Amino acid sequence: MGITRRDLLTATAGTAVLGSTVIPRIGLGATKTLKIGFLAPLTGEVSAWGLPGLYGCEVLVKNINAAGGVQIGEDTYTLEIASFDDEYLPDKALQGFKKIVSEEGAKFVMMLGGDPWPGVQRFANQSKMLATTLLPSDLSPDTPYLLAPCEVHPIYNVTGVEYLARNFPDAKRAVICAQNDSLGIPSVATYEAAFEAAGIEVVDVNIFDPATTDFAPLVTSLMAKKPDIFCYDTAYADFVNLIAQQLHIQGYKGLQISCTCDNYPQIVEKTSKEFMEGFIFQFPDFDDPKLNEPFINFPEPNKFFADYNAAHPGTWTAVSWEYPSIVLQWIAGAKLAGSVEPMQVLEAMKSKPSWPHIFGEADWWGQDLWGINNALVGKWPVVVIRDGKATIAEFGDIPAWWAKNKDVLIKRMRERNQMWDQRA
Amino acid sequence: MKAAKLAIPSLVALAVFMVALPFGLKLHQQDFMISLLVWVLVVSSYRLMALTGEYSLVHVVLMGAGAYGSALLAKLAGFSVWLAMPCGALVAAGIAALLSFPLFRMSGFYFLIGSFAAGEAIRLSWTYFTVPFGGPKGIKLIPSPELTLPGLGPIPFFEPIPYYYLTLIIVGISLFILYRLENSRIGLIMNAIHWRAPLAESVGVDTWRYRALAFVIASFFAGLAGALFCHYYGTANPAQFDVAAMVYVLIWVIVGGVSRFAGPIVGVVVLSVLNELFREAEQWRPLIYGCILIAAMFYLPDGLVGLPGRIRAWLDGRRGVAAAETGEAAEEPADLASPRRR
Repeated sequence: MGITRRDLLTATAGTAVLGSTVIPRIGLGATKTLKIGFLAPLTGEVSAWGLPGLYGCEVLVKNINAAGGVQIGEDTYTLEIASFDDEYLPDKALQGFKKIVSEEGAKFVMMLGGDPWPGVQRFANQSKMLATTLLPSDLSPDTPYLLAPCEVHPIYNVTGVEYLARNFPDAKRAVICAQNDSLGIPSVATYEAAFEAAGIEVVDVNIFDPATTDFAPLVTSLMAKKPDIFCYDTAYADFVNLIAQQLHIQGYKGLQISCTCDNYPQIVEKTSKEFMEGFIFQFPDFDDPKLNEPFINFPEPNKFFADYNAAHPGTWTAVSWEYPSIVLQWIAGAKLAGSVEPMQVLEAMKSKPSWPHIFGEADWWGQDLWGINNALVGKWPVVVIRDGKATIAEFGDIPAWWAKNKDVLIKRMRERNQMWDQRA
Repeated sequence: MKAAKLAIPSLVALAVFMVALPFGLKLHQQDFMISLLVWVLVVSSYRLMALTGEYSLVHVVLMGAGAYGSALLAKLAGFSVWLAMPCGALVAAGIAALLSFPLFRMSGFYFLIGSFAAGEAIRLSWTYFTVPFGGPKGIKLIPSPELTLPGLGPIPFFEPIPYYYLTLIIVGISLFILYRLENSRIGLIMNAIHWRAPLAESVGVDTWRYRALAFVIASFFAGLAGALFCHYYGTANPAQFDVAAMVYVLIWVIVGGVSRFAGPIVGVVVLSVLNELFREAEQWRPLIYGCILIAAMFYLPDGLVGLPGRIRAWLDGRRGVAAAETGEAAEEPADLASPRRR
């Protein structure tokens, strides 16, 4: 029997996030400060997947501390975020990891992952430090202390395609565009598998260099294939924005699907509500009423969204809630372990076959794709823009899709050299 | 004369400081110093190229060629890291030698654009060919050097302090070679090509050959820097060697000043340290950094390395005013524009 949602909420939210509704649990010992490491790009083109996460963690931690902190074992802790801008570079990431762990004394480190992770891997293993990534493609048998407890990028993208195929059965031709990097390519393999499983033909894949700034030729070329579905893959926020504008200018009328659609109100403003109607992606706004469902393991998401936007208006992106949800999971693990020590927390979290993921119970998974069961996989929201506003259409079931289509995904991943045993 | 007398004691003091430095630093600062030394070698080698008057945009990519070459030789071909590193540098030099045929048919702005295109072609090939370059994710788990000394046992080069000393020694030797080269007859010819290419040609200097030579040697040291980098951080990927990194190198070189050997070194040290000092400012850091750059461009056209001379000139000017008032003659200010000042 895995730890339940109720356990998690008692353990984490109960300590805090609600603030006004929960009485702080003052511990038996003196209040201590507990540092949580945050190592992600805070500047540069990937900062949209770092900085809003830091903002989200600061909002969460402020609320937790205002409610009296968090009790772990005999001690009560106030939380503090120790952040470092890794600039999405491995050398800066190693510097930051060492600073956060050795000098700041953080007990676990949240990372975006991707290019910076290989710079950190050896030190993380040596120091036996618990770390988390949003990109499970960082996982391998060589990363025993690295977890992907929130986002299983890009596997959840299959839920969007499944929804699309079910609701638009006449759409049979898809095109995909993706930047050529560690985010784009595994996502291409996943979309190819999802489209294949749904009986949709991928008529063109355009992989562009991340330095691209003019997307007119790319869009013209892909529209020439007369697609029913335009797939943005896991494009950076700026790319989605520019490509959408080009599609609008060039008169595209078909369906659109993407992993993310950060700052979508801007895109709606620059195109039109009609153009963006039905746009499918995977990251909800947290004012969505469906996030108040009982299986959601994030206390008062609507209040969190309001607090966040009050503190940092216009900066909400996919990662604004992901890093905070990892903080909550870590607190639950520390409570279960009765300790803040990294290996004890890791052991506690992995001691159960399933763990309360933000979108419900999820399984430790990943052996087939990454050679290690360190990613949490369960439900994931499918978000659709309706009348200019992102709304959750449904919660897709990743394990159910995997059970039916495992071979297709592995085949596509292998074709794109994305299996862990194919990496250089 | 006074400066020449001070040179050796200053160098000895600097050497002592550099040897003692890691013990006064925190763990993450030791890593920063390793990176800094690597970039010192990159900008210094870039200056050799700039000595002939050509600015290229392929230098960081050739640093990457050294990193990839060394990493692949060590990881896939089973070379010892000690052998793989110079071989990686030779790979970079070899690529530069090949590129010199098309590139040196151009000069000035056309050379700049041509070098950018060549660099992008190389970098995109690393992204495109997953085998053997690892595609966008690059190569990871690159081994660090191994050395066992009698009585001391194996030296852990994956730790920052041993690797810092290794880097310090290699960079120190490389800088010495570059300095000697610049002050040799070859260096003088390169300078002559920069300032009076037609005149140099008229007296029988093969300008193509010397430009190519500067390019190949500079690329060798850039490749060596790349090899040093990848064997410590354990990874090499195309994004590390992109045009943004090249722009940083240009900024360091230009802000430091190209007129003297120490200029680019001063540039990379000062700007990198400032960048770290402003780390607490998080997302405001690029703005602060940018303001410093603009200020340096406006007020220090000779680069940071010209700052002491400017201060001296200003003080001399002040003394001159005072002397004029008292009837004494002021010392003549230094000539800051000379390209041969070191």
